Amino acid sequence: MLVFVGIPVLVVAVVALLVFAPSIAHGPRYRPGLSWWAPPVWINGPSATKPDPANLPELPGAPGTNATAGTGVARTTGGASASW
Amino acid sequence: MPAGDAFTPDQLYDIERAVRHAEEVSGLHFSVYVGGADSETRPFALELLNELDDPDSSVLVYVDPAGRRLEIVTGWLAKRQLSDTSAGLAALTMQTSFATGDLTGGLVTGVQQLGEHAHQPPLLHANEPHKQ
Repeated sequence: MLVFVGIPVLVVAVVALLVFAPSIAHGPRYRPGLSWWAPPVWINGPSATKPDPANLPELPGAPGTNATAGTGVARTTGGASASW
Repeated sequence: MPAGDAFTPDQLYDIERAVRHAEEVSGLHFSVYVGGADSETRPFALELLNELDDPDSSVLVYVDPAGRRLEIVTGWLAKRQLSDTSAGLAALTMQTSFATGDLTGGLVTGVQQLGEHAHQPPLLHANEPHKQ
């Protein structure tokens, strides 16, 4: 009984452990093409103390300036895009 | 990907360490966002960049795993240190890892590469007269 049941079960258990050990150790793995349900993660995102520009008190402007000051310089961004 | 957190604590630690290293060598602010976009990925990534404390000197890496899209956005000051060509090379590195399902490895390598490309070596002997 032990030879015909116990040893095969033990062998299957060891093989299964060897197969699943990497995924258990490294956690769930992203599979391209399958859905993604995890909530968004923002690493090194904005600090919670950043004031909302909409709630800032209005500062008095210098004489002769108008509300469009500062918009004359185009502050373009850069970067790159990719897909897989 | 099963429901739950996108990364294990160890994976998060690796990414955060790469971000810190990139910030140390470049002097820029690095941020990584992994999640779906409410709209088109590029405008969404720009919105995220503008939410940062100092968007002009920041580099945002945005990854949409479901849409399989990657965006690297540099602020207008960061753009002086990190060219679009360098960002494209890092994007290519990340793209290769993401295609094989390695999100963490791609982010770590890509962010490190961005930091190295943005690194500006200090000027030595800049205030000494030129000797012939």
